[in-house]
Amino acid sequence: MVAALKTSFRKKFPKPQYIYDEHGKKIGKLAKRTKRLNRSTGGTVVLFIFMGLLAVFMGFPLFLTVSNALKPLDELFLFPPQIVVRNPTLSNFSDLFVSMQATWVPFSRYAVNTLIITLGGTLGHLMFASSAAYALAKVELPGRKMMFSMVVLSLMFAAVVTSIPNFIIISSLGLIDTYWAIILPAFSAPLGLYLMKQFMEQIPDSLVESARIDGASEYRIYWSIVMPNVKPAWLTLIILQFQGLWATTGGIFIRSEELKPLSFAMGQIAGGGIARAGESAAVMFLMMIIPVTFFIIAQSQMIETLTTSGMKD
Amino acid sequence: MTGERKGLTMRKKQAIAGYLFILPFLIGLVGFFLLNMVQAVIYSFNDVRIVPEVGGLVMDGVGLENFQFVLFQHGTFNRELIESLIDMVWYVPLIIFFSLFMAMILNRHFIGRSFVRMIFFVPVIMATPAILTALELSMSMMMGGRTNVPPDVMAEMAGFSPEAITFILGDFGLPDDLVGFIVDSIFRLNEILRMSGVQILIFLAALQAIPAEMYEVAQIEGATGYETFWKITFPMVSPLILTNVVYTIVDLYSHSPVVETATSFFFEMQQFGISSAMSIVSGLVACMFLLLVGWIVSKYVFYVNG
Repeated sequence: MVAALKTSFRKKFPKPQYIYDEHGKKIGKLAKRTKRLNRSTGGTVVLFIFMGLLAVFMGFPLFLTVSNALKPLDELFLFPPQIVVRNPTLSNFSDLFVSMQATWVPFSRYAVNTLIITLGGTLGHLMFASSAAYALAKVELPGRKMMFSMVVLSLMFAAVVTSIPNFIIISSLGLIDTYWAIILPAFSAPLGLYLMKQFMEQIPDSLVESARIDGASEYRIYWSIVMPNVKPAWLTLIILQFQGLWATTGGIFIRSEELKPLSFAMGQIAGGGIARAGESAAVMFLMMIIPVTFFIIAQSQMIETLTTSGMKD
Repeated sequence: MTGERKGLTMRKKQAIAGYLFILPFLIGLVGFFLLNMVQAVIYSFNDVRIVPEVGGLVMDGVGLENFQFVLFQHGTFNRELIESLIDMVWYVPLIIFFSLFMAMILNRHFIGRSFVRMIFFVPVIMATPAILTALELSMSMMMGGRTNVPPDVMAEMAGFSPEAITFILGDFGLPDDLVGFIVDSIFRLNEILRMSGVQILIFLAALQAIPAEMYEVAQIEGATGYETFWKITFPMVSPLILTNVVYTIVDLYSHSPVVETATSFFFEMQQFGISSAMSIVSGLVACMFLLLVGWIVSKYVFYVNG
């Protein structure tokens, strides 16, 4: 009885045969496969339904933002709230435009401020972080381990605690009330370096070595070989940094009204209370639509087939 | 004309170039991040006050008194610290698994892919001051013009509001218990979804950076989807699992009640020394957790260059 069970069990699950390397170490297993392990079409359908449900759920606030921005004032105050707008109107935007005209500082000034801070901070951070990551990942440097642990350590400390010393340093550099107070610290944000370094580690060393032997300078290797190979990484970095800087209000570092960024001005309008409810919905829409557009453009630049290791081994 | 080598060796030249590459970043890191940290450590051993007459900060050394207060005298701090740690133990694996899973689905080819990816990034975008202000206002209107929702509650639910769902489901005439259950589970799922935006994005980039030939070879050799995942996809994205673990811990930590307590000591009570001591204690705990998780994860991390 037991023996019969045993044979039928063995028939179903044959004893695995192992593959050994020259030192007698197990390196793999040979076994007859009993079923295909590829995902079935049904599984794919279930996955997509799951993703679709989550996407609808996550897309709800976005939808609500768009629909709120188009609602006339009386619909905004309806109770219980309506999800879909009934009489779409652009009056919220025209009201917002009127408010914009009435600001003490011309509104375009806020936009220019944000543009300078966002572009400057994003591009600078990209250059600084990626070149430092290149050196940490691909150049033999004494002390690079220590420098890398400094980066991780500085990630860990809450910005709040360091805000007094940070303020003292920035003011002693004479940067208070300049764009640099926001841009310069953004250059050295530790997360970007960490991200870029992990991606660059995955590029084969032999690729970099062969370029070196062919006489390419370090700059050339960094710019023409490593950077194109980690394009998805720096596109991600740009998205994250853009989003962070776009949201900045200048805080305690930028005091003069004419240097404040757009996010601050928009926050002031949105905070105007119930009377400004329509404009506030329009503000929300505008503040979202730009990072959203940026995200979609950057994402569509990521095409995986372009990435190739360029190795023949 | 044979003879001496002129100038530096190749290795030295390379090292100099390398340092030049790091230098700009390093100056900023030291200036804007590390010096601040050193300063915070100094504060934590002092009683720091702002005295306008002197025109700045006055520090009196108090030794370990701040730490003693934080750990043994403050009513809630040590409990909050343990709670934040337990939260991290729960959330880190959940977020990592979920975001890798989502990234794998979002990496497939389907129509409107960029748009769906964007939807999962929306919570990150929504956590913007101007948007939070507007959201707060619209929420108070949704609740029938009731008094303002406190801003920290708003920050919690930037991305989705349980109130809105309660109203909508209530409109359908569902019983209260069921609505409560649905809202509760949605809220938990929402927590994880809301915190995975950046991680999904990083995993997507990681998936895209895998050379296409690898998959081609696997296909030609007849590998199954299961094998392709464990032998190609997982090893190739594993360094980014480490990055995402670090990011998740930092993110959870900086929104934890411990940091909130430290913030209130900083801004409301102006107890800079105690606030610094709090952040150093909690920062060290988070660091230790990070080292532990990093050690576990690094066993499974595969680096192309060995």
